[in-house]
Amino acid sequence: MEFAWNEAEEAYRAELHEVLATLPDDWWSSYAPHGPSSPKLMDHARRFNAELAKRDLIVRHWPAEYGGCDASAWQQIIISEEMWSIGEPRSSLYLGTNWAGPAIMKFGTEGQKQRYLNAIAAGELLWCQGFSEPEAGTDLGNMKTRAEPDGDSYIISGSKIWTSYAARADIMFLLARVGGKGKGGVSCFIVPMDTPGIEIRPIAGVHSQHDFHEVFFSDARLPASALLGEEGNGWQIVQAIIHYERIGAGRYEKAARGLAHIVEILKERGEFDDPVVRADCAAALAAVEAARLQTYLVIDGRAKDKDPGAETYLARYAMIQADHAVANLSSAYLPDLLVDGADGHLRAQFNSAITAGIAAGAAEVQLNMISGRYLGLPRGS
Amino acid sequence: MNFDFSPEQQALCDAIQRIVADHLELPRTGNVVEPRAYHPAHALEAVLERGGFFDIALEPGCGAVEAASLVYESGLSPLVLETGGSALVAPLLTGKSLPRPIAIARLQDVSRGVRFLAEAKTLLLDLDDDVALVDMEGIAVETLTGAYAYPLGKVVGQIDLTAAPRLGQPQVSELRRLWRLSLALDIAAAMQAAVSFTTEYVRYRQVFGRPVGSFQAVQHRLAADAEQCRGVYWLAMKAAWSGNALDAALAALHAQRAITQVNYDCHQFNGALGMTLEHALHLWTFRLRWLAGEMGGYRTHAADIAALAWPDTPRKTG
Repeated sequence: MEFAWNEAEEAYRAELHEVLATLPDDWWSSYAPHGPSSPKLMDHARRFNAELAKRDLIVRHWPAEYGGCDASAWQQIIISEEMWSIGEPRSSLYLGTNWAGPAIMKFGTEGQKQRYLNAIAAGELLWCQGFSEPEAGTDLGNMKTRAEPDGDSYIISGSKIWTSYAARADIMFLLARVGGKGKGGVSCFIVPMDTPGIEIRPIAGVHSQHDFHEVFFSDARLPASALLGEEGNGWQIVQAIIHYERIGAGRYEKAARGLAHIVEILKERGEFDDPVVRADCAAALAAVEAARLQTYLVIDGRAKDKDPGAETYLARYAMIQADHAVANLSSAYLPDLLVDGADGHLRAQFNSAITAGIAAGAAEVQLNMISGRYLGLPRGS
Repeated sequence: MNFDFSPEQQALCDAIQRIVADHLELPRTGNVVEPRAYHPAHALEAVLERGGFFDIALEPGCGAVEAASLVYESGLSPLVLETGGSALVAPLLTGKSLPRPIAIARLQDVSRGVRFLAEAKTLLLDLDDDVALVDMEGIAVETLTGAYAYPLGKVVGQIDLTAAPRLGQPQVSELRRLWRLSLALDIAAAMQAAVSFTTEYVRYRQVFGRPVGSFQAVQHRLAADAEQCRGVYWLAMKAAWSGNALDAALAALHAQRAITQVNYDCHQFNGALGMTLEHALHLWTFRLRWLAGEMGGYRTHAADIAALAWPDTPRKTG
């Protein structure tokens, strides 16, 4: 057993800190509070990602043949912690590094690998995820967007909703139905967002004015080469990457740093001596560290090439609890600092926590998975 | 990072599991488990003593992680035995094995009630500014009975500490670190055992024509409880590995705070059967009831966590 970082991992973190030091001085007031999908942050991300790429920092954990450095999976969680904890200055590049890239590595053609993996490593692609639909959020198997084969093409029709990053993303990881009903009819496509026939409508969200979108596909024509894997194996691909998606963003680290910030303010205000306040903060820290360790357990398995198991869902659920434990401190003890322009750091953590139990699989889905796959409880009738 | 035991640690853990598994039998009258608040594990204790398991922390190449493994694995048993004080706290605090069973207490608690004091040969006493090693020979102890699954006792009258060796003020924080670690492991094990027992029960117990465990209302709460068990376990194992006071306090706090929900859920899902002493659930939940308040409860850890995690020197964040 060993719970410490090694030298190479510490050095990688230090390199990341050097790039993070170049973020604008008004990062917390102007960029981070509006989320990683805000126009200002996404525009900045293109420059920031280029800087990361220049130093080969983006996908150290990938194989060298795909632009990585053959480093361990631990380096993926290190960059995730460092970036997510300050509002994800990479913006949606992280979708590519965390799970879209691994999906392409595992299921893609050689052409897709050459085209997309090197571009992710170079920090050139901002992604969005075309999964949820108006009648298929948690129940993804109910999705209706269709991909009709037409010669060497697919014609996409339908719509996606609650799609983060869509307005400024370069590319979408799309689920569409080629076959019939159910999970067996689902296929994956990689879709350039400038494809004719794609229309995007922003939806203001409670956590961000700029995050959500509805994406309409009106007979958008994709080349056959946009299909990832085989027709009808989309669900298999989703199942393969779901562990990367759920344990990808370092939410516990964002919560930890948010908590440290909260304590600092409470001390400045002379309110940290209250034993109830201290107990609440201590409990939040314990939740954060419990989530961190359960996440690291998943990464440990990944680093050892073990098949992912139910620990993923335990870790994700723990992360949700941790994120909320810290956000609740802001609203309970520092509500005045959550108004516009007051404290961008607090606001960013608070807003992000709202999404924790919904994005990447609802908290209740994680509990379903723990019930079935970890506890072995029988399905309901 | 490496979350796996070393081969030697794994072999030790496997050996403990096998020994514990060989001693799970609860005393019965006919087909019915004897209705007691707890069942002592004397035979298991004897085997572990003979095998030198209580001295594991002092073996070359071993330490807190190995001792933690013993505390946790034996804590899963429905039978009660004292391991935390004997295998973890005393050897790592004093560098030697002390006569066992060993009780640990704050001075103000010796006249109220202390876990294992009814049988203890040694008492590790937190005097706030010192630690006393008390030989319990000749000290009058009243056994306490009630809704707790431990041999509880309290000292009758005043405890005379004049002859008790002292470890010095610096060892107070070390005692508390190790006690918290031991406490977290005891709780992690008892919660895990209660959740596992309940999970097994709701798999086959039918209600409205289907297993209790097929209802999502039950599943989600048990799943959340399972997460709490794993969270406490890993916090405790990290604390064992690091030797860090903050890690131990976090583990103890997270553990004690989790008890309320886990205990409630397990009893809810075992229904009326769980309210009988013939059913095994109480053998863990009666432990948890006591453990929730040991060391003064989670507020005491919170105060130390605040001091350790956020010292008054301003920290740079973000």
